[in-house]
Amino acid sequence: MNHKKFIVSTRNVTKTYYDNGVDVQAVRGIDLDIAPGEFTAIVGPSGSGKTTFLNIISGLDTPTNGEVLLEGKDLSAMRGRDLSDFRRDHIGFIFQAYNLVPVLRVEENIEYIMMLQGVSKEERHQRVMKILEEVGLSGMADRLPTKLSGGQQQRVAIARAMVSRPRLILADEPTANLDSKTGAGLLDMMRELNEKTGMTFLFSTHDNMIMERARRVITLKDGIIAEDERRD
Amino acid sequence: MAFYWKLAWRNIFRNKRRTIIASVAIGIGLAALIFTDAVIIGMKDSLIRSTTASFLGEAQIHREGYRLSREVELTLKNPEAVLRQLAGDTSVAHFTPRTLAFGMLTSPANANSILLVGADPQSEPYLSQFDDALKHGEWLGTGERDLVIGSKLAETLEVTVGDRVVMTVAQVKGGDLSQEMFRVSGIYHFGIRELDGGMALIPLRKAQQMLGIGAAIHEIAIRFHDINDAENPDLPFWERYSVNGNEAAGWPRLMPEMKNVLELTNFSMYILAMILAGIVVFGIINTLFMSLYERMFEFGVLRAVGTRASGVRRLIVLEALALGIISVVVGVILGLGLTALVAHSGIDYRGIEMSGVHFQEIIYPVLRTMQFVKYPLWVIIFCTLVGLYPARVAGRMHIASALRKSL
Repeated sequence: MNHKKFIVSTRNVTKTYYDNGVDVQAVRGIDLDIAPGEFTAIVGPSGSGKTTFLNIISGLDTPTNGEVLLEGKDLSAMRGRDLSDFRRDHIGFIFQAYNLVPVLRVEENIEYIMMLQGVSKEERHQRVMKILEEVGLSGMADRLPTKLSGGQQQRVAIARAMVSRPRLILADEPTANLDSKTGAGLLDMMRELNEKTGMTFLFSTHDNMIMERARRVITLKDGIIAEDERRD
Repeated sequence: MAFYWKLAWRNIFRNKRRTIIASVAIGIGLAALIFTDAVIIGMKDSLIRSTTASFLGEAQIHREGYRLSREVELTLKNPEAVLRQLAGDTSVAHFTPRTLAFGMLTSPANANSILLVGADPQSEPYLSQFDDALKHGEWLGTGERDLVIGSKLAETLEVTVGDRVVMTVAQVKGGDLSQEMFRVSGIYHFGIRELDGGMALIPLRKAQQMLGIGAAIHEIAIRFHDINDAENPDLPFWERYSVNGNEAAGWPRLMPEMKNVLELTNFSMYILAMILAGIVVFGIINTLFMSLYERMFEFGVLRAVGTRASGVRRLIVLEALALGIISVVVGVILGLGLTALVAHSGIDYRGIEMSGVHFQEIIYPVLRTMQFVKYPLWVIIFCTLVGLYPARVAGRMHIASALRKSL
């Protein structure tokens, strides 16, 4: 199989934790291919291994066995700064609790990754203003995160994840802390951005709203893929 | 770097109360260091002045071997030549010749053994403070039978100004006793037992006559233009005058107990510096680790989005540096205020003896630029170094564990 046509490819990925003297098999051999532009949800009950699996896909954790390829690159071959730089340039993260840096203004939060990439100040500013417009937060660049509502903070987090133009966005329960109306609005916005930019979105979620909007739903159970449903 | 510096400053003020407590604790330590250093400099100056100005002088020239044996036969070699040389020496401000011999002073009421000092009435006041310390009567004048004694000796002999006493000394050649009557012309009081109770001063020529040594002298006491010269072991002066059987020495050699006191004060500074180091270590480590564990998830996010471990380490070290700078500002203000306040009133240790050295003046802390450069710099460097430990911990974090509740 040609892995290069997939943005994410995993082969026989396993992860075993040693916890309180007991081996816990969180992931038990997952084979998965995600194509560019997908809008996919990984679902499953707590303890099904979806968080561990996403950590492995993003290079935040290492598999016990198996192979993880991101855009054709073997993550297990990368270490330290190479891995950090790879995440910075290829993956956007959206976290459940927004996780903006509270002492940085909205613009500073969003431009942070571009700053790490060495993008010029002028270009950073232009891109921040553009993405703020896209996520509906024009005029809020100078605000501190604490002065924003939960929905607005999550929009900033989405803007931060997308502004560096990664090809893959990983989102962990992005709507968990939002009311259903705000959550639905955000999901619609992400879906629109997915269609507009071709960025790949991969969610880990319990949220039915995400499952309803996802074009592919992968169900994990006891560390393996129990179901892989495509809705194209 | 500029971005991390900005972030570090803002992070430091995220928990203002904690930052204030830590910086005040470190600042108090720094203020204590500045204050103690200022007091020690003041104390050192006072001790040196007290020791050298009362009688010793900043340096002395003797015949080789005299300092240890105190043998009256060991008079200075070629005293006239040495005195002429000193008169033309640009580093020397004042000097005075002396004879020194043990003798017995007798009054109608009592007798006491004393150190008889033959002093030049004109030059001696530039080297010692007997004239300033006079409580009754006058300093040695033109009268060859004038005698100046300390208050304690006057009390023992039950004499006062104008009373007559008999001085007995052994002549240098042959050891015959020489006895002369003197009139008490002045009584001084230093508050130092040895000076007040065991010393008597008479005119130099009379002392030379009683000892039968002609124009010979036992020592020349010297005061330099620069008081620090006496502490300089490489001063050419020592070699210049340690010739032809004579020996020149500064006060650190003449009074080693004084050197010990100063070393003790230096040791106190080291102890204080160690205590400050402890405060800094615990203050910084505690503050940074509390901050680090509170923000572990945030650091996890920063790492996840692509911040290198070195970036997180840099941020923590810069936070330690920022905390150090704030602490230094607090410490300098406190140190300056406290020292200036005490420098106004001084610390009165007069009459207190320390390893045989007496404080005779009020101690005034001395502020030096160095105290506001060296010590703050120490604190900043030390804070930054201490910050390396939490920085290392933060840099080695397991990102997935830090983000356990999220991705």
